[in-house]
Amino acid sequence: MVEWREITPRVAKMRERYRNTVPHLCTARFRLITDFYMNNMELTGILKRAKNLRNLFENMPVLINEDELIVGEQGSSYRASALYPETNFAWLVDELENGDPGARESDPYIVSEEDKAYILSKKEFWLHNNMSAMFDAYIPRGYRKMAGNGVLMYVLNQNANTPVGHFCTNYDKACTKGFGAVKREAEEKMAELENSGIMGQDNERYNFYRAVSIVTGGIIVWSKRYGKECRRLAELEANPERRTELLDMAERLEWIMENPCRSFHDALQCLYLYHLAMCLDGQQHGISFGRVDQYLGKYYDADLKAGRITPEKAQELMDLFYLKVAEPNKMIRYDPATIANPGYTSGFMMTMGGVDKEGNDATNPVTYMMLQCAGRLLLHTPPQSLRIHKNTPADLWELAIETTKRAGGVPTFESDDVIIPALMKRGLPLESARNYCLIGCVEPTGCGDEWAQPGGTGCESYINLVGCILQAINNGTNPMPGKDGKVREHTGLQTGYLYEMTSMEQVVDAVKQQIEHFARWHVGCQTIWESIARYQMPLPMVSCMYDGCMESGKDVMWGGAKYNATGNSAIGLGNVADSLNVIDYMCFRKKLCTTRELYDAVMANWEGYEELHQIVVNEVPHFGNGDEEADKYVQFVAETYADVINSATGPRGRWSAGMYPVTMNTIMGRTTWATPDGRKAGTPLSDGISPVQGMDKNGPIACLNSVLNFDQTKFGNGTLLNMKFHPTALSGEEGTAKLKAVMQTYFDRGGMEMQLNIVDSKTLRAAQERPEDYKDLVVRVAGFSAYFVEVFKDCQEDLIRRTEMGM
Amino acid sequence: MSKTGLKGKIYDIQGFSVHDGPGVRTTVYLKGCPLRCPWCHSPESQSFHSQMSYASTRCTGVETCGECMKVCPAGALEQGAEESAAGGLIHKVRWHSESCAQCFACTQQCFAEALSVCGKDYTVEEVMQILRKDYDFLRSSGGGVTVSGGEALSQEEFTVELLRTVKADGIHTALDTTGFAPWKAVEHALPCTDLFLYDLKHMDSAEHERVTGVPNEQILENARRIAANGGKLQVRIPVIPGFNDSIENLNATASFCAELGEAVTVVQLLPFHHMGASKYERIQRPDPMPADVLPPDDGQMQKYLELMFDHGLQAMIH
Repeated sequence: MVEWREITPRVAKMRERYRNTVPHLCTARFRLITDFYMNNMELTGILKRAKNLRNLFENMPVLINEDELIVGEQGSSYRASALYPETNFAWLVDELENGDPGARESDPYIVSEEDKAYILSKKEFWLHNNMSAMFDAYIPRGYRKMAGNGVLMYVLNQNANTPVGHFCTNYDKACTKGFGAVKREAEEKMAELENSGIMGQDNERYNFYRAVSIVTGGIIVWSKRYGKECRRLAELEANPERRTELLDMAERLEWIMENPCRSFHDALQCLYLYHLAMCLDGQQHGISFGRVDQYLGKYYDADLKAGRITPEKAQELMDLFYLKVAEPNKMIRYDPATIANPGYTSGFMMTMGGVDKEGNDATNPVTYMMLQCAGRLLLHTPPQSLRIHKNTPADLWELAIETTKRAGGVPTFESDDVIIPALMKRGLPLESARNYCLIGCVEPTGCGDEWAQPGGTGCESYINLVGCILQAINNGTNPMPGKDGKVREHTGLQTGYLYEMTSMEQVVDAVKQQIEHFARWHVGCQTIWESIARYQMPLPMVSCMYDGCMESGKDVMWGGAKYNATGNSAIGLGNVADSLNVIDYMCFRKKLCTTRELYDAVMANWEGYEELHQIVVNEVPHFGNGDEEADKYVQFVAETYADVINSATGPRGRWSAGMYPVTMNTIMGRTTWATPDGRKAGTPLSDGISPVQGMDKNGPIACLNSVLNFDQTKFGNGTLLNMKFHPTALSGEEGTAKLKAVMQTYFDRGGMEMQLNIVDSKTLRAAQERPEDYKDLVVRVAGFSAYFVEVFKDCQEDLIRRTEMGM
Repeated sequence: MSKTGLKGKIYDIQGFSVHDGPGVRTTVYLKGCPLRCPWCHSPESQSFHSQMSYASTRCTGVETCGECMKVCPAGALEQGAEESAAGGLIHKVRWHSESCAQCFACTQQCFAEALSVCGKDYTVEEVMQILRKDYDFLRSSGGGVTVSGGEALSQEEFTVELLRTVKADGIHTALDTTGFAPWKAVEHALPCTDLFLYDLKHMDSAEHERVTGVPNEQILENARRIAANGGKLQVRIPVIPGFNDSIENLNATASFCAELGEAVTVVQLLPFHHMGASKYERIQRPDPMPADVLPPDDGQMQKYLELMFDHGLQAMIH
């Protein structure tokens, strides 16, 4: 029986403030970096970035909000967003000149007239000095015409909208060692090089250590500035209790960052400030916390034994930490048609549970505290993953399932038994694979030692597989007309038209060729992007704690981490598999129509082909129903894609395949033509490895049986399976036990990940109609959760459409 | 008859069934029932024959299809009234069950699956192929296979063979039954049935017969004999306002259960609901349950539950 702990009045009040604040845009960072970049034109590369960050540490406003015990802010008001003009800028000019960030359908921001005028006054400088513009200048020959091909997603002016992110540094080292020690180490290395003479490749190492010395010094200064602000506020404070708190915080902020943490509270503050420092430096994109329970467990134990803390006090601190983690958000380009993660989502993933480096259960009291935070505070972020293995304690399972019943999709469930071998396949040694964490949405990565870039090397990394089959049956041309209404240029291989194909082998071969063709282009672009990003966005603040960088003297962006990889995710598995089975069933196996008829029907967006459409939708078996013919194509598509991605290499080593959608399935769906599986043009694609929405008609067990038909250990970059259950099917302790059994069996048979929405469509409809009554309804969108009422309409519809299981 | 060729008439096989016995189950629904309970929420389960079913919501309209009308030999299908749909105004097909010859020719043409046949013959082996795919999930959840109806014991040979095969695989078996079958059939099923989901509708035989069409002596006697022969019963009482929800009848039912002793694992009270209404429409039968009969409220159900507890029974509202 799960017991939910009480929420203290302080936490309740702060949660209220969190839910009722519309974020402002704060230009403090923008103003500082503008002055710095304009006045330091002689600086380049890693030194420029290091000195810029130190300048931010020394001059950003320090803000301590009422009642806070854990502090840190990236702007001058609570929950404000900073701006990152050095990565991308054109969208901001466009929105400020032609739109109103305060009037967005989702993710609105308040921008003052004064700030707006200031930003626009710097337009000429930043339109050229940003990474997106630089990428555009380096686009490989022949790629420009690829834009709009419906498979890849590079778009001019926007290629670094979401730049380098998706990583997890070694936070444990930051807590146990402190930045002062790393600063000394860097300076010793510099002295050594100076003494021995800087020769050969030493220049890069010397510059790296120098940058580390600058940023580690900077973060210590920043922390002390917060400490000083606490003392100032304590002077002014009338309430003696709060005054004591502020003085305690001051003492802590003056100690940590420079020195090793001494307590649970120290460690929470250190984790938060270090995290925020990395956000301030490099745009906060999917920067993940890793195995938080593993970092904190030892501090909690020691405090408890020494009588310095009670479980209640620790829970309150944890709650306050979560409320801080939920707070940061970034104002990025907003277009309801292309925003991948609506709902002020930042992807600060936290990982819980699992095995330790020796293979024993790593659960500790902090693991339970983290689930208590998720289940009681009902925050849409941070996302949380629970690692499951055969010795996961029964009460942890139970608490996690009860949590996901309350907070849609939190946590996700990840199987150690599948993920550890998958990571070893891409080169991690056993010990490191066992210590994996999840990044961003569902991407497994070595915790603090692997620079796996699961989200791509400079911009987001997705391939639309549905576009590949459309090009395969349309001789290498995207059938979706351009915005001007004209037919697109052909960009794929000329594999012929469906009506020219006389066997299923030809169709399958054409699809394989197109997937390989576009995957090569994708890898090529990312490789070029990386060569620019490593100059524009080296990350000494991240690198200084990452395993391998201090040893090798190289930044993570230059391959300094102990292990390396590059990730990718494919979209639309279900649609492609179903399309292949439809072609096979209709044209070859049962001969119910000719390839010409099917081709014409697809190209006509099924208009005028209602009878054929109904046969395709209703008679032909679809993936997700345990039908062997349909399921075999899933295996073909999944493994073809995985094999080509996993065999690719980038500047730092291997690539790694994944299948998770974020909300790219709805976004890409809008620009994807009708498909042979009966899907109409512009509608969402299937998400992750889930069957096509509404096509899994035989319930969750049949769905899982189908999904288990391909080897998920080939997807080191993660798979995502969204399951939606009706609440009545899983009510009470009995329901919890059934759900556990279903998940455990899925994992035992090779499933990697599962996430759940236990909500009925009636509730979601009601929330659409009366959003004010459902303000706290958290649902799983894809690799992240969001408040249902805060995501845009299409995405809401997609959530409702996904099959409701059970009943 | 050779057992391999044995066929049963089935109208549904449902995976992830969580209300028909312990754990996660796969439930096989057999067609045909000797009872005619007016609250039945699966009216398509009553007839022993395959029958037409029409879900007009799925019809895409004669404008783009209308194939069914062309093949109907009985003139039972015609163009209906104009109505609006997602793509504009359409005329859906109207089915007249009274003139339908039940030849099912139209169902072969209906690609929207609006017109369909309810009830299909399966061999035991065909059903087993479907069931075996789910075994891992059934085992891990402490679940199993439930054979339900209709009245599954009306297809005695098939039902027993199916239960026997499942049980031989080491999977938990449940038989959801009205209990209205000759003792010989129940006895036949007993060794391969781990749990009987057993309906008790009314303790007064005349009242039972007046409403369901059959008396209850056989039902009660079978329950006693199952208990006496080591079988396990999960008793289910549909709580139907105005029919069996008098305190007197519930007390009598509870006493009967208590007399069966440890054979009864639990008594489940199933509050009446109107969810089956759309299924009556699909087979064009009037819903025999008056619309003004409302589901019992939570307070009443709680009271009935207490009553079961008073008789020393393990009980729950289901």
